[in-house]
Amino acid sequence: MRFAQFLVDLAFLLDNSLRYQRVKRFFKNLLENDDYPYKKYFDYFMIFLILSSVVIIIEEVKTPISKWLYYYDVYFVTGVFIVEYLLRLWVYNDVHKIIILEYEESLFLERPFDTKRVLKEIVKKKLEYIFSPLAIIDLLAILPSYRELRILRIFVLFRVFKLLRYSQNITHFFQVLASKKIELFTLLMLVAFTILVSGISIYVFEEQHNPHINTLYDAFYWALVTISTVGYGDIAPVTHEGRTITMIIILVGVGLISFATSIIVSAFSEKLNEIRENRIVHMAKKLDNYYVICGFTHMAQLLAKRFQRERIDFLIIDNDANVVEKALAEGYLAICEDATQANAFRHINFNSVKAVMALTQTDMHNIYICLNVRSFSKECFVISNAVDNNSHKKLRLAGADYIISPYITAGFFAAKIIDEPIAIEAIKDILIARKNALCEQVEVIKGSFLEGKQIKDIDFDRYKLILLGIVKMEESLSKEKFHHKFIFNPDEEQRLEVGDILIVMGYSVSIANFKSQVVGSSLKHEKKA
Amino acid sequence: MRKKHKILLFGFGRYAEQIAKNLALDAHHVLIASFNKEELKIAAKNGFKDLYIVDIEDDAQLTDLILDHDITHVFCAFDDEEKNIYLTITFKSLFRTLPVIAICESKETERKLKLAGADKVIDTMVAAANRLYYIVEKPAVAEAIDEILFKDKSIIFEEIKVPRGSFLDGKNIKDIAFSKKYKIIVIGLVDKELGNKFIFITRGINHKIDAGDVLVVVGKKEDIKNFKKLLGAMV
Repeated sequence: MRFAQFLVDLAFLLDNSLRYQRVKRFFKNLLENDDYPYKKYFDYFMIFLILSSVVIIIEEVKTPISKWLYYYDVYFVTGVFIVEYLLRLWVYNDVHKIIILEYEESLFLERPFDTKRVLKEIVKKKLEYIFSPLAIIDLLAILPSYRELRILRIFVLFRVFKLLRYSQNITHFFQVLASKKIELFTLLMLVAFTILVSGISIYVFEEQHNPHINTLYDAFYWALVTISTVGYGDIAPVTHEGRTITMIIILVGVGLISFATSIIVSAFSEKLNEIRENRIVHMAKKLDNYYVICGFTHMAQLLAKRFQRERIDFLIIDNDANVVEKALAEGYLAICEDATQANAFRHINFNSVKAVMALTQTDMHNIYICLNVRSFSKECFVISNAVDNNSHKKLRLAGADYIISPYITAGFFAAKIIDEPIAIEAIKDILIARKNALCEQVEVIKGSFLEGKQIKDIDFDRYKLILLGIVKMEESLSKEKFHHKFIFNPDEEQRLEVGDILIVMGYSVSIANFKSQVVGSSLKHEKKA
Repeated sequence: MRKKHKILLFGFGRYAEQIAKNLALDAHHVLIASFNKEELKIAAKNGFKDLYIVDIEDDAQLTDLILDHDITHVFCAFDDEEKNIYLTITFKSLFRTLPVIAICESKETERKLKLAGADKVIDTMVAAANRLYYIVEKPAVAEAIDEILFKDKSIIFEEIKVPRGSFLDGKNIKDIAFSKKYKIIVIGLVDKELGNKFIFITRGINHKIDAGDVLVVVGKKEDIKNFKKLLGAMV
């Protein structure tokens, strides 16, 4: 009874210890969580250990190795492997939770604490891990260090297998094959059956006549070599009966081979999309500061083109596979998901998303998308396309921060094009940044030569720029994104303050030059100070 | 002052509604035609008076409409792109010189409309998509563009043709302080000496302004009006 009490106390102690939880979580992340940033380095480290130890063991086959390498392999590598194995066993599940569960249950049902059952449960869980394929490989990979038994060296292979754990591509391959478990099993049975039948019959017919077939083992070896269409020819049938069997199993062999090929090929073609999607999601995860575009409509395509030109990262989500195909063909990151479903955003880390844009053709979808995004992130900037004028309010309620309507802009441009075709062309050129004419914002940085100057003191002509206006930040409102005050064509006397934004127009070279001067002057100022 | 046009606008869908409103703002005479009674009802609700129900496949009806009303421009602004292409072809076959403007939503239709002979084709999404880019990447610029183009009605874009004998004729563009003296900003110009192309002022060429050149300016309505008056008065 005292042992039971001790178990329960220990369990509660662990459950309450924040430090224990933290350490355990750290190791769990390090070993099992693909999204954990440091897991990558751990994986590289392990891959290095494995490769180096394999090289050492191979080298050892022919030449004696130096003492240090031997120590490295036997103590260090094996030591790390053992520690890793034990850690994995440890983080596989929480033992103290089992004890607490049983304890609470026993209190609730008013029956004595069943130590035996708890221990059985714990052992069962841990054995579950020990007998999982990857754990077996881990265990066997530790063995080759025991040099006294040469046969154990074969387990060096398991060190190579251990690489599986650290490489995503290979695990994908096995996942694909695992999806065809039933078919592959059927095939295996078929092969085993054929080998059995043909092996036994060749043994019966030729054991007396053929000097190469002495045992049943030889017969099975011959059968496998023949049906696999490898046909070494070291064992060949000599009797008529044997040759007849050979002819039959060659035909069967061709069938089996094509069966195997087709299973594997179909497994891959079925899973290909999934694998590709996984890869894209993985790539998107690595991005920082990117945009998510929902719906690859015409507007989205134009936007994507612009983003690509400006080298800005983005991810496209569309629920039409054909459209996604098109986006992928353009070289964009795209996944086929329904953005109105929570599922679509499960892989997306909204902290690194700059903005989500709902650009589908129907307001209903856009509203759903806005709501969906809001359910994941309250802060993320959301822009939505509005088809109907009546939807603006609904979209706002659904959480859209900004609403864009192609109809309004198009209406404006279309109406003006009659009277002022040249002006409209010019505006369009600026908007699209065609002909290298740009509209750009330049912030007045602290210490730069712009600070405190009046407009008339700055010779925009020399920079080959036009000053369209300035955007003044208003202190109290500066937190909100779209709350600036725009002053068109400001007065000569207007003084520039830190935080003001100049809206200038000009060619990309002129703008780049101006910007670098502004930044440069502020850096110089800092150096002086 | 500026010549007012008689514009025949086809359709009253989402685009046409905005176009009609903008045209009316500029005091153009807008006539609206559609085969769809519902659309015309909406147009009537929005205060448009000259409404016509037409069968867009009936050439005689279309011809009459154009001739009876002295139409100067035709606008094909159905939401359905195919109808715009069809109308463009029809008008171009009936009236060779009548300017036809059409809207489209994709590159493919734009190409077809140009083949059909449309004088101006507006890709409705281009402006919106690029605005979107500014909103997320350069909010201050987006704000400025919004302010100039849409929000602040007192700021306008305008093309000004330089009259013969005006004080600009024969001057170099850099010698005139447009922004200081007249409070307008010259974005660029079409210099007839250099061809019919629009050139941004920031190119840095010191153009010699001649009669017939077109300046594209942006400024307060009042200032532009005064400037034009000044330009005209000296002739």
